[in-house]
Amino acid sequence: MNVTQWKNKMTDLSRRDFLKLIRNGFLYLSGVLVTGGLLRFLSYESEPKRKTEFDIGSADNYPLGSRTSIPEIPALLIHTESGYTALSLTCTHLGCTLEPNETGFACPCHNSSFDEAGNVIHGPAVKPLQVLRIEITDDGNIKVFTA
Amino acid sequence: MRPSFFHHLHPPTIPTAQARWRHTLAAGGTAIFLMLILGVTGILEMFYYIPNPEEAALSVQTITYLVPFGGFIRNLHYWSAQLLLIVSAIHLLRVVFTAAYSHPRRFNYLLGLTLFVIVILLDFTGYILRWDVDICYPLLTGTNLLKTIPLIGDALHRIAIGGGDACTSGLLRMYVWHIFGLTLPVIILGVWHAFRVRRDGGIAVPPPQVRTDNARISRNELVRREVLAMFVIGIALILLSSFAPAPIAPAMPTTPAAIGAAASQSARAPWFFLWVQQMLKWGDPFIFGIVIPIGILVLVALIPYIFPKPADSDIGTWFPKSNRFAQITIGLVSFIVILLTLLANAK
Ligand code: HEM
Ligand code: FES
Repeated sequence: MNVTQWKNKMTDLSRRDFLKLIRNGFLYLSGVLVTGGLLRFLSYESEPKRKTEFDIGSADNYPLGSRTSIPEIPALLIHTESGYTALSLTCTHLGCTLEPNETGFACPCHNSSFDEAGNVIHGPAVKPLQVLRIEITDDGNIKVFTA
Repeated sequence: MRPSFFHHLHPPTIPTAQARWRHTLAAGGTAIFLMLILGVTGILEMFYYIPNPEEAALSVQTITYLVPFGGFIRNLHYWSAQLLLIVSAIHLLRVVFTAAYSHPRRFNYLLGLTLFVIVILLDFTGYILRWDVDICYPLLTGTNLLKTIPLIGDALHRIAIGGGDACTSGLLRMYVWHIFGLTLPVIILGVWHAFRVRRDGGIAVPPPQVRTDNARISRNELVRREVLAMFVIGIALILLSSFAPAPIAPAMPTTPAAIGAAASQSARAPWFFLWVQQMLKWGDPFIFGIVIPIGILVLVALIPYIFPKPADSDIGTWFPKSNRFAQITIGLVSFIVILLTLLANAK
């Protein structure tokens, strides 16, 4: 379409077509606004955030050489010569809880498996298990942080 | 006589070709009938069902074991839902295999496909409402899948279950989606879909000029056939519901520590999502759990738009030549989905 044709088309726009255009514009606009508002309304975070801090009791409960499963996190607390480590037992694929087996941990959901140190033996998971941050409180308790 | 929606759907006479069992397989009509049963039995269950994590599974046990005919009502609801999925799939296959989706029915094809997707979501949310030990991992992995979607994932997760932890929270949202948020669209789109069938000229058959068989049946005969189909399906449902109870498992524990132990016993997706669970074993959740399933859906939706238009004389006949590409596409999709489901069952 060249410029003159375009101009002709512009002037061809009758009063009725113009009103129709405006009306449809308003209809679409209000549709978009209502949908947007509805989605925002629905996307409020109504459920409580997951706990990220766990006090798992006195460090004395976890003697040297022990490997203790803490199901509520879920994590494995390992106490070795070099100190305490908390290995997350949440599968890095889609979040199911891992179960211990002969070689390490296996996931019941899509069969990922991990070795004792949390490295992937086979997928679908690609990321190794998370090593969780630990703090020993003043009164000798162990605190594990998942975030 | 005052025109009514019933008369819109049942004109005084229709071509016999439009009402043959071997043509429609009675699938679309059966889907409507099952939806009506789902509506009635669902409302009855609402009198007893309690949508909070502590009481949900117990209230399901109350319905199943204590309420007079409660177990039967629940079984009817369960079996109608499973049959609805199968019947909708059969209906979709027949529409493609008989080239019925072609112009002027392209829009109604999209309405139907949308209905199918919502029906799958309804079956999933309904299953979650049991809130027993079986539903934890399907809900957890399903909602974590939403989070893998770039940009909008977290918002979708909040819209679906409120953004909390899948197995301890989110039930209220699943409930409202099930009884209202998904059901209302099904009602609206379902009525629209049925309305459009007549508007588009009734069930697709070749145009009168090329039709060999110009016999017609009356409204009474059409209704008689519909009642017969409802009768057969009704008997099947009553038998299934009397002898094959819907699954029931122990209530989900309420503390995260106990949930982990209980849930690991059953990490199996519900049967209609086994194919997705099987693909998820292959790698990246976003690719295998979101991109591929949505890709398949888009491909099926595009069938009327990307393949050559079937010949007029072929519309409404089984497996016509001019429609090969569409048949192969939908055939392959069904084959893959069934194969993946069998694979998931193999172990
Ligand atoms: C799940 C809910 C659905 C219901 C209740 C439903 C209901 C119906 C009914 C009663 C008919 C009349 C013809 C017949 O019985 O075969 C029909 C026709 C039709 N349906 Fe569906 N349907 C559903 C899903 C679908 C799906 C998944 C598709 C395809 C993507 C679809 C596409 C069509 C089309 C294109 C027609 C017109 C076909 C023709 O005229 O031959 N519908 N539907
Ligand atoms: S969630 Fe562990 S393998 Fe998928």
